[in-house]
Amino acid sequence: MRKGMRAAMAVSAIALATFGATVAGAEDKEFKIGGVVALSGAYGVIGEAMQKGAELAVEMRGGTVLGAPVVFDWQDTETKPQVAVQKATKLMAGGANMLFGAVSSGSTLAVMKVAERKKVPMLVTLSASDDITGSQMSRYTFRTSNPVNMENQMMAEFASKEGLKKVYGVVADYTVGREMWDNLKAKLKDKNIEIIAEDFPPLGNKDYAIIVDKVAKSDADGVAMIMTGGDAITFLKQSGQVGLKDNKEVFGTMVMDELMGKAVGDLSYGVNSTQRYHFSTETDANVAFVKAFREKYGEYPNQFAGEAFDGMSWFLDVVDETGSWDPEEWVTAFESSTYDKSVEGTKVMRACDHQAAQIGVFGKAIKGEAPYPDVTMDVTYTFGPELLFAPCAD
Amino acid sequence: MVATALIGLSIAMLLFLLAAGLTLIFGMLGVINFAHGALYMIGAFAAFEAYRQTGSFWLALVVAPLVVAVIGALIELILLRPLYDRDHVEQLLMTFGAILVIEEAVRMIWGLGYRDLPLPESLSGSTAVLGDEVAIYRLFLLGAGVAVGAGLFLLIERTRLGMVLRAAMSYPAMVRALGIRVDVVRTLVFALGAALAAFAGAIAAPIVPVQVGMSFAIIVDCFVVVILGGLGNIRGAIVAAVLLGLVQAFGQHYFPSWIEVATYVVLIGVLLVRPQGLFSIAPARKA
Repeated sequence: MRKGMRAAMAVSAIALATFGATVAGAEDKEFKIGGVVALSGAYGVIGEAMQKGAELAVEMRGGTVLGAPVVFDWQDTETKPQVAVQKATKLMAGGANMLFGAVSSGSTLAVMKVAERKKVPMLVTLSASDDITGSQMSRYTFRTSNPVNMENQMMAEFASKEGLKKVYGVVADYTVGREMWDNLKAKLKDKNIEIIAEDFPPLGNKDYAIIVDKVAKSDADGVAMIMTGGDAITFLKQSGQVGLKDNKEVFGTMVMDELMGKAVGDLSYGVNSTQRYHFSTETDANVAFVKAFREKYGEYPNQFAGEAFDGMSWFLDVVDETGSWDPEEWVTAFESSTYDKSVEGTKVMRACDHQAAQIGVFGKAIKGEAPYPDVTMDVTYTFGPELLFAPCAD
Repeated sequence: MVATALIGLSIAMLLFLLAAGLTLIFGMLGVINFAHGALYMIGAFAAFEAYRQTGSFWLALVVAPLVVAVIGALIELILLRPLYDRDHVEQLLMTFGAILVIEEAVRMIWGLGYRDLPLPESLSGSTAVLGDEVAIYRLFLLGAGVAVGAGLFLLIERTRLGMVLRAAMSYPAMVRALGIRVDVVRTLVFALGAALAAFAGAIAAPIVPVQVGMSFAIIVDCFVVVILGGLGNIRGAIVAAVLLGLVQAFGQHYFPSWIEVATYVVLIGVLLVRPQGLFSIAPARKA
């Protein structure tokens, strides 16, 4: 009898311990987001902004998804694809439920391959290479921000609406830059805009004065810039000092926003650029986001923070709606998702390429009055998704 | 053509201002200072901060070199002084470590964002020179480079202080025997080199992005100038900077995709003909 009771107690204890562990496990479960962004070097400022936007998205939903607290693990990619892959692999080995990033397209393309092998969903809110949702498309990767083709379509629409006839191209000499320019040239030619000259200065070029002089002496009525970060700043500072934008329309992809305006200063005024997102968009979701962002960080959100907030909010909403911890269900649900609470209005995820169809915004830098930054983008054109995205092929 | 030449000379003067400090430190102390680019970056940030506090571009140009001279003196006193008798590799490693510390310190103070040092009204806009429009700031850069170069030359070649500096470089034991504190001379030289780097950073700030890591774009060219001119030689640095500046300006005009190749073609060409550089002198003796 005593032996039987002992056995029963042992079984009960094991059962209780197992049950208890299960309950405790549910309570302790966390939703882990692995952030792989540049947090140092020239693109560090972009990674920081993405971090702010993504973290605010989680905070504004109460810090949880599927009833579990959300935990971020941020890793610095140093803008190097091999480092990004190492960090992403480490994050996935540590149990990351999803990946978020990267900054450069090269890093994103490298990371999305390892994410696919591990079947971990990856959210892209910045990298623009068309390959991410084109030739290298993955079941597990989704982009909620602008692709190159969309940016170029906006550039061509802008040039056409401004009545430009002759354009001079200044293009940073790297593979994606040249691909973007080839794509843009075709679109400009479709609008009967002539390309009168093109220059391909190397990435990290220190001095654009000679190119600026060539552009100034040409009969172009516009100069299209395809360059990023420091290159764009150097060009705009040096061209601004000789008043290039007073005689030619200066426009480019992501070459000017409030962040760039801090570096270029007064010489920013009049520069035209595509915008991934702008804080002035008058949707209920955006008003709430901007208010929360300003309260938390004391500044207006830039386009990197805005896109990160929007994409993260959308993805976590979809995860919550599935009520499941199975990433396959999240991926399937996100493929056919429409997000009408986007800060930019409505975004529609295309199942055919995992690219979100959305509006496109073009702006001109103007002098901002308080409380806006000294250099503020004035949204001059908003283009509908039907103009910017080709329909999915059957 | 005139505009291209003037722009080339302005590029040259910026390169010279940066390279002068590097070559001075090598020539006088025998130290290859990897952290020279980081001092250039602090110079730009110090100028930005001075402008933000005072609103004066001119004051920023003065304050930045003074602040960085003090930082340079501290680096020499704390990091380099114990290493003069050791292998060059240890000095290189120490100055490389200094880069990491300086970059992190700048990131903590000013963040990763871009900063701007705007031009005063008097230096804004452009002017016609022999029929070509040239930015006024380019002409200012050119003049500042010539003035600093001439001042440096006079200081080293024509003053008593310069004589002591040169003597301390070549015959430190003798100079010490004459009652001159060679260690103080070394600190002063490093501080002067740091101040030159900072002046280059401050004067470059209106035309380049002021950001952590901003020196990477220019420091390679700076080392090319020092190697071309002959390690430790100020006159060589001037000639090499002008050569490189003009190659880059005319290269950008006629074959922009090949500028970087052109830079290294010049470097290889000179090294093939004169491996010691255009004007070489022996590095400082240890004592």
